Amino acid sequence: MSLDNILNHWSDFRKGSEEGGHHNYEHRWAMAINLDLCNGCNACSIACYSENNIAVVGKERFEKGQAMHWLRIERYWDQPDKVYPEQGASFLPMMCQQCGAATCEPVCPVAATYHTPDGLNAQVYNRCIGSRYCSNNCPFRVRYFNFYSYYESSWPEPMEQQLNPDLTVRDKGVMEKCTFCVQRIRTVKDKAFMEDRKVRDGEMVTACAQACPTSAIVFGDTMDEDSMVSKLWKKHQVERGVYQKTKLAKKNTDLRGYRIFEELNVDPSVMYLERVREDI
Amino acid sequence: MSGNMNRRSFLKVMGWSGAGATLAACDMPTTITLEEGKEEVVSYLMPEEYVIPGVGVWYASTCTQCEAACGIHGRVREGRVLKLEGNPDATLNNGKLCMMGQAGVQGHYNPDRITTPMLRTGGSLAPISWDKAMAVLQEKLGAVSGDRFAWFTGSISGHQSALIANHLGAMGSKKHYVHEIVNNAVSQAVNRDTLGEAVPRLRLDKAKMIVSFGADFMGASQSSVHYAGQYAKFRTNKERGLFVQIESKMSMTGGSADLWLAIKPGTEGVLALGIANVLLNQLKLGDAGIPSDVRAMINDFGISKVAEITSVAGDRIQNVAKLLVDRSPSLVLVGPSVEGHAHGYDATSAVMLLNHILGNVGKTIESSGNFPFPQLMAKQGSTADLLAFAEDAKAKKLDAAIFYGSNPAYTAPESLGLTEAMAAIGFKVAIAQFPDETAMMADLVLPVDSYLEDWGTQVPPIQSENTAIHVQQPLMERIHEQTRGLGDILLSMLKQRKNDEYNQFEDYYAYLRNAFAAMPSEVKKSAKNNDEFWNGALQTGVIDVKPEPKTLTSTVASFGVPMSKSGDGNGLHLVPSARLGLFDGRHANLPWLQESPDQIAKVVWDSWVEMHPDTAAKMGISNLQLVRVTSAQGSVELRVVLLKGVHKDAVAIPLGQGHESLGRYAKGLGVNPLKILDKTADSKTGELAMYSTRVTVTAIGEPDALSIVRMGTGAGDSQAGRKLVVTVPVEQVKRTEGV
Repeated sequence: MSLDNILNHWSDFRKGSEEGGHHNYEHRWAMAINLDLCNGCNACSIACYSENNIAVVGKERFEKGQAMHWLRIERYWDQPDKVYPEQGASFLPMMCQQCGAATCEPVCPVAATYHTPDGLNAQVYNRCIGSRYCSNNCPFRVRYFNFYSYYESSWPEPMEQQLNPDLTVRDKGVMEKCTFCVQRIRTVKDKAFMEDRKVRDGEMVTACAQACPTSAIVFGDTMDEDSMVSKLWKKHQVERGVYQKTKLAKKNTDLRGYRIFEELNVDPSVMYLERVREDI
Repeated sequence: MSGNMNRRSFLKVMGWSGAGATLAACDMPTTITLEEGKEEVVSYLMPEEYVIPGVGVWYASTCTQCEAACGIHGRVREGRVLKLEGNPDATLNNGKLCMMGQAGVQGHYNPDRITTPMLRTGGSLAPISWDKAMAVLQEKLGAVSGDRFAWFTGSISGHQSALIANHLGAMGSKKHYVHEIVNNAVSQAVNRDTLGEAVPRLRLDKAKMIVSFGADFMGASQSSVHYAGQYAKFRTNKERGLFVQIESKMSMTGGSADLWLAIKPGTEGVLALGIANVLLNQLKLGDAGIPSDVRAMINDFGISKVAEITSVAGDRIQNVAKLLVDRSPSLVLVGPSVEGHAHGYDATSAVMLLNHILGNVGKTIESSGNFPFPQLMAKQGSTADLLAFAEDAKAKKLDAAIFYGSNPAYTAPESLGLTEAMAAIGFKVAIAQFPDETAMMADLVLPVDSYLEDWGTQVPPIQSENTAIHVQQPLMERIHEQTRGLGDILLSMLKQRKNDEYNQFEDYYAYLRNAFAAMPSEVKKSAKNNDEFWNGALQTGVIDVKPEPKTLTSTVASFGVPMSKSGDGNGLHLVPSARLGLFDGRHANLPWLQESPDQIAKVVWDSWVEMHPDTAAKMGISNLQLVRVTSAQGSVELRVVLLKGVHKDAVAIPLGQGHESLGRYAKGLGVNPLKILDKTADSKTGELAMYSTRVTVTAIGEPDALSIVRMGTGAGDSQAGRKLVVTVPVEQVKRTEGV
């Protein structure tokens, strides 16, 4: 892929978002996460470790902020004035939001992170030189850098036999992040191609969505209007595109759907549904 | 595969054969055999049945990471199991799996597994052969008889459990101690006395309101994935379920509550009586079936008195009671922090009484029916058995004991004197996968297969609407040559005793095939023959069985005043909290779970003590300070994490760390709060009163932010005005989504 090609692609997709229409996409993978069902149990996070060959870094490196958890559950306390947190804890599953107008992409000096025709924010490990500009530019803090090689420390024999052969183990000096389980997407797309049909809704499930005991995470293709995720986005009046457009789209502001940092105009592919509490 | 080939002979074959074979060989992967030292390139010239290079195949089996026994699918590629997911055919967990289940592969591939039998010689464990190990076993057990021999296990079910019972029978002993630290033995006793069934089926999905007294049902419970699935239905029902959690330390489940109420530890039963008082005396619900002494006790606990004892505000009590009537049917749940007191039975009875008054029995509490194969049913663990074991051993009533699936040397408080008890047993055998504390005390250690290498049947103690037996099959060949299946070890031991009876079974596989063939026709359903039934069971991983229908009774037995008889006492209440992840400590050797932050405190790779900021301020203790927590039995040193989700009179220390053994990931991290618990037991059931220990906290070091590692705790854990997790009132959602 030439540099011209990369830049053209990038500006294509970038413009697409600003103009509010997305075109030339084969798929546009997206999520809907119902925060009212998330109980913070961490099943998704461990499923992600298991699926994506994520290194365990140990206590000392975790302390330095070098943990590799592509999908983490953040926990917030929202009632600072109360003696006890009477409405419980606020849990937030946070992973790469696969932004349509990703701030990490234009800053990469070698175009190691780019936009795919699937609407994914891809990371090319072979091309990455470890400048970490992307991580610095990510408002969600969901890019993880390999400060070390973890082959031996994370997978002592015979632990390495668990590694998923569908994707690599990333080495020192490379940035990595949630891929929406791109290897699963590949498998499903290949299968659909071989059977000469389109990818069915529900056929492609990310490891986190598969594991979630309360089914809080729904994954699918927003290009497929009948997909569950499309219906949820529509129901909650959340649209792809930038703030001005989505603000206008949301006729009923009481609906629960929202995207985090919408005002930054990065066009995230993850819609969250607000947590509900009954005040008694 | 037709014999192993080395690379040279493989190339020879390639040279001789025609283009077809060469083409077929193009993307042949090379594999390295698991046998130590031998690296061979093995071709897929003749692929093994069902092996397609590069394609993962999912096989059904059963998870044994906790007693819930969820159905799993394991992804197998080129002979290795790579990932575990829930089995959608198992209605218990509906295709879902918790973090502990997901991490099962890390136990299977753990670098610290025991790989050879070991015998204690001259004070230390030394490797021996299996033949020698079995000979020693035969000799030592041959010298023991009757109740001087015992089995000590964790919760166990299925044919393995039946074989243990048979082995005990063959030994002439009745002693099977079944121990779990995370258990609900007291509520089982209460249920047996009031509902006529120890483990009724709870229907969270049918309830309009759940009031949980310390039940961490989605976390460290008897079936967390099952209950989480039900909880999702409860919340998404047309009328959104209302959830109130009452406890002294916020559990993971408590984090999801609409209303989380902090209660003074050990007074949950009193609060239940207060709610009952409002229900009967103010809201005029019927009191049929309530014994007069209980009725009098309820009258005795008026709101103001209850508010004072429990520290829960009177209007809250009134409101919860009123809502319970408005939102019928409701469900009142009871958890270990209610059960774990000297008055645990009384407190649990008081809480369960609410279900009786509210008419929930038969609506949200149903009968599980009579399981048709009682010998396969789950024997669920308790702490009473741990206490009994310690007493029996210390009284020199045991000459030999076999340990499997439980780690009493780690879970027993120092006050039980387990080291002394273990020393008093002449011959200790551990059937173990890991070098845990108990295995390290044993005289003979037998290395057991991981559950992903072994055959078995598991009967979930909590069943969904479709009662089932879950089938466990090997997902790959054993990694270590010298490990053996539990069933195979049991059969060998039975053959030592009753050769004529068990000689017909070559191995446990043959035994299971035979047992499946002997199952009644209503279980086999449409299967044309035994092979078809067997293959079908392996494919789905589930055998549906029909329990005999039963109706629950709804009686109220008399119970005592549900509060501490010895007065208020001194010191802070110690809450030893179990959590999904490290659980009771058994999973401390799985690095994914160590690195996964605690759901509430967000600490990794460590122990900590949770304190309310107000309590700490009074004592001059600040966040992350090193403190000593001292009970009458001993002390532990660890860092403080200030959290508001702890009652001011309590401190909480999570279970799981403080291992002296169990391999590289577990050893030497944090502390084990179980060690400093008092020996107090519940007066009715004899269960260890785990939540009744009092402690003092003294600062011994300065705050040090770098000493404890927590995930993303900037800005005081608040969202700092950002729109990250937005909370909206239910009224708004009623307008928009009509819930």
